[in-house]
Amino acid sequence: MLRPTWRVRDLRVALVGVVFILAWLGIGYRLFQVQVVEAATFVADGENQRIRVEDIAAKRGTIFDRDGIELAITVDMPTVIADPSLVFDPEGTAQVLAPLVGATVAELVEKLDRPDARFAYVAKHITSDQEEQLQSAMDAVAECRGGDDPSTCPSDFDGIYLRTEPYRVYPSGDLAAQILGFIQQDTQEGLEGLEAHYNDVLTGTPGTQILERDPEGNPIPLGELQVEPAIAGVDIRTTIDPQVQYVAQQAAAEAVADTHAASATIVVLNPRTGEILAMATAPTFDPNDRQSIDPAAVRNRAVTDVYEPGSTAKVITVAAALDQGLITPQDAWWVPAEYEVDGKEEPYTDVKRSEGRKMSVAEIITKSSNVGTIMIQEQLGNELHYQYLEAFGLGNISGDSIPGEVPGLLRPVRDWVSATAGASTAIGYRMDVTALQMAAVFGTIANDGVWVQPHLVAELIHPDGSLEVTVPSQRPVLQRETARQMRGLLNAVVEHGTGHRAAVPGYSVGGKTGTTEKFIFEEGVYSENDRIASFIGIAPINDPEIVIAVVLDSPHGEIEEDGSTVELKFGGVSAAPVFARVAETALQALGVTPNGQ
Amino acid sequence: MTLAHQQRGEQPSLQVIPGNTRRPRTKISHWVVFALAVTIAFFGLIYSRISLDHSAFEIQELEEQIAIQEELHWQLRYELAQIQDPALLEGQIADLGMIYPDQRVALSVPVVSIDELDPDYRWAQLEAILSAQP
Repeated sequence: MLRPTWRVRDLRVALVGVVFILAWLGIGYRLFQVQVVEAATFVADGENQRIRVEDIAAKRGTIFDRDGIELAITVDMPTVIADPSLVFDPEGTAQVLAPLVGATVAELVEKLDRPDARFAYVAKHITSDQEEQLQSAMDAVAECRGGDDPSTCPSDFDGIYLRTEPYRVYPSGDLAAQILGFIQQDTQEGLEGLEAHYNDVLTGTPGTQILERDPEGNPIPLGELQVEPAIAGVDIRTTIDPQVQYVAQQAAAEAVADTHAASATIVVLNPRTGEILAMATAPTFDPNDRQSIDPAAVRNRAVTDVYEPGSTAKVITVAAALDQGLITPQDAWWVPAEYEVDGKEEPYTDVKRSEGRKMSVAEIITKSSNVGTIMIQEQLGNELHYQYLEAFGLGNISGDSIPGEVPGLLRPVRDWVSATAGASTAIGYRMDVTALQMAAVFGTIANDGVWVQPHLVAELIHPDGSLEVTVPSQRPVLQRETARQMRGLLNAVVEHGTGHRAAVPGYSVGGKTGTTEKFIFEEGVYSENDRIASFIGIAPINDPEIVIAVVLDSPHGEIEEDGSTVELKFGGVSAAPVFARVAETALQALGVTPNGQ
Repeated sequence: MTLAHQQRGEQPSLQVIPGNTRRPRTKISHWVVFALAVTIAFFGLIYSRISLDHSAFEIQELEEQIAIQEELHWQLRYELAQIQDPALLEGQIADLGMIYPDQRVALSVPVVSIDELDPDYRWAQLEAILSAQP
């Protein structure tokens, strides 16, 4: 056999060497490609697997009552979510989960039996007891899988996760529900009330965090971490007094039940500061239970619904004439039973008065005489009358702190062209007001003639602790002496006039009744049967602390009183007792000493 | 100069100059120190890294605790607000047997005159009350 010559051996060695060189060149090329050419791509791929950019939700601001008790607060609530693509046995998983989360098997199967889906809510905002039970069940499965024979462990919770989500709750249920409103829980966006009105400031600014997570989704300690913290939303301290609000709500609900009214609205105002202590509307709702909310109950009728104030507006007419020195409370003149005004087919008349007689200004107010008030307005004139109506705040919103407030309707004096315009306006027709506006009118009388802007928000509390305190605007409307005289007249209404059912044991109070035919906007006519009954009062009348406006929409029925039957459609019959009830409890809650009257 | 050179009376061609009698220093100690330093640095690095990891885990745990406590804080605020709900309080008060009085009497206290504030006058009044007692 021919032995290979050295040349052949060298050739073989050279060949192997070439192969090695080529192999190393290939490896080197690949290394160059990986480390240099495609380095950025691989780095990016790696970072995409590990590094996550996540939003940090900003805590929504809390809404407090005047005492700092939470009326609306955001808490983290446990929520069960699923990745349906990882749920291998939807039926079995649903059977295990159903009793734990309080759902039916069918409901859960519908959510879980979607192999292509990657996300589903199994149960939102479960209770802490449910969370504990579910967590211990999940822990048991995890422990089993860490044991000797993981293949025997159940797969009940594959693709099922427990996490917390922010949830808006209203600890006092329906207390001040129309004022607070509510939010859309999924988006945390305010939909009604203060929640919607102040949504931008309550929401805060979300933050961002960049961090590394392991394949299980856990943060890697010492990994990449960049945090831009979220800025919490602004807290709001309202002027609402919880006790007064509660009693107002109860009284409104009882008024609806007792008088069969379509709705009842109550406003309680501090006349000196303009703080709204309560705004209650019945029917109401519980913002925690969104499923059962009646859309009609959501409106805060004290500021969204307008009505013709009727006799309660006579206070403005008389106050303006007194303030101008045109009349005094003692002045008296002949007031006919009927009073004709050009352009009106039917003459103006007084309720329950068929004969003319001499009446003083005090009597005109206490007996709520339409004719007497119209005669006073004729002395006052349209121009001055309008100026006072405007100064009292009619036709304008109170400010920007009250959600949904409407300005009402006060026609400009240039439009008072018909002969009846002044007369009708004098007795509270031909204009639309809100209950809050009328409360502010009486607040002006209570506050020695100075109108103070009604407001609902006492202060905004920023996350850095700084406060934005509401300073209500003020303007003088009446002279102090005029306001004092008016309080005397209003006291007489309760002591001797149409408002006697508003009397409060232990306190001297004053106020004015009002009854107007209800205008049906859809039909453009006045209702034959429905009335707006109201009573607006001041308590105590000698040193006012609160003003309460009660407005009942379409009360019906009759009651027996002192052997006679009285109709509930009149403000003095249906609304005045509501005032008395709210005033009595509110005065005690506010610590106002009885004045023994 | 060797002995042979001396016997032959020859002068040495090379002169021996006495040098440093000390043994040349071995360089090994430098290496030992260096190796020791490297070893210490190596283990120190490992230890610091472990400590850092340990601290990171502790921080993570503390952050989790903070989150839990914060959650608890808000839950407690929620519960506190709930138990101050006027409707709830009214129910509990009713359970205790208390009711809102349906009749109230306002007491009118007469205004105290300046004379009545005088200590002697008040002492006289008190004496009268005390002496009237059996």
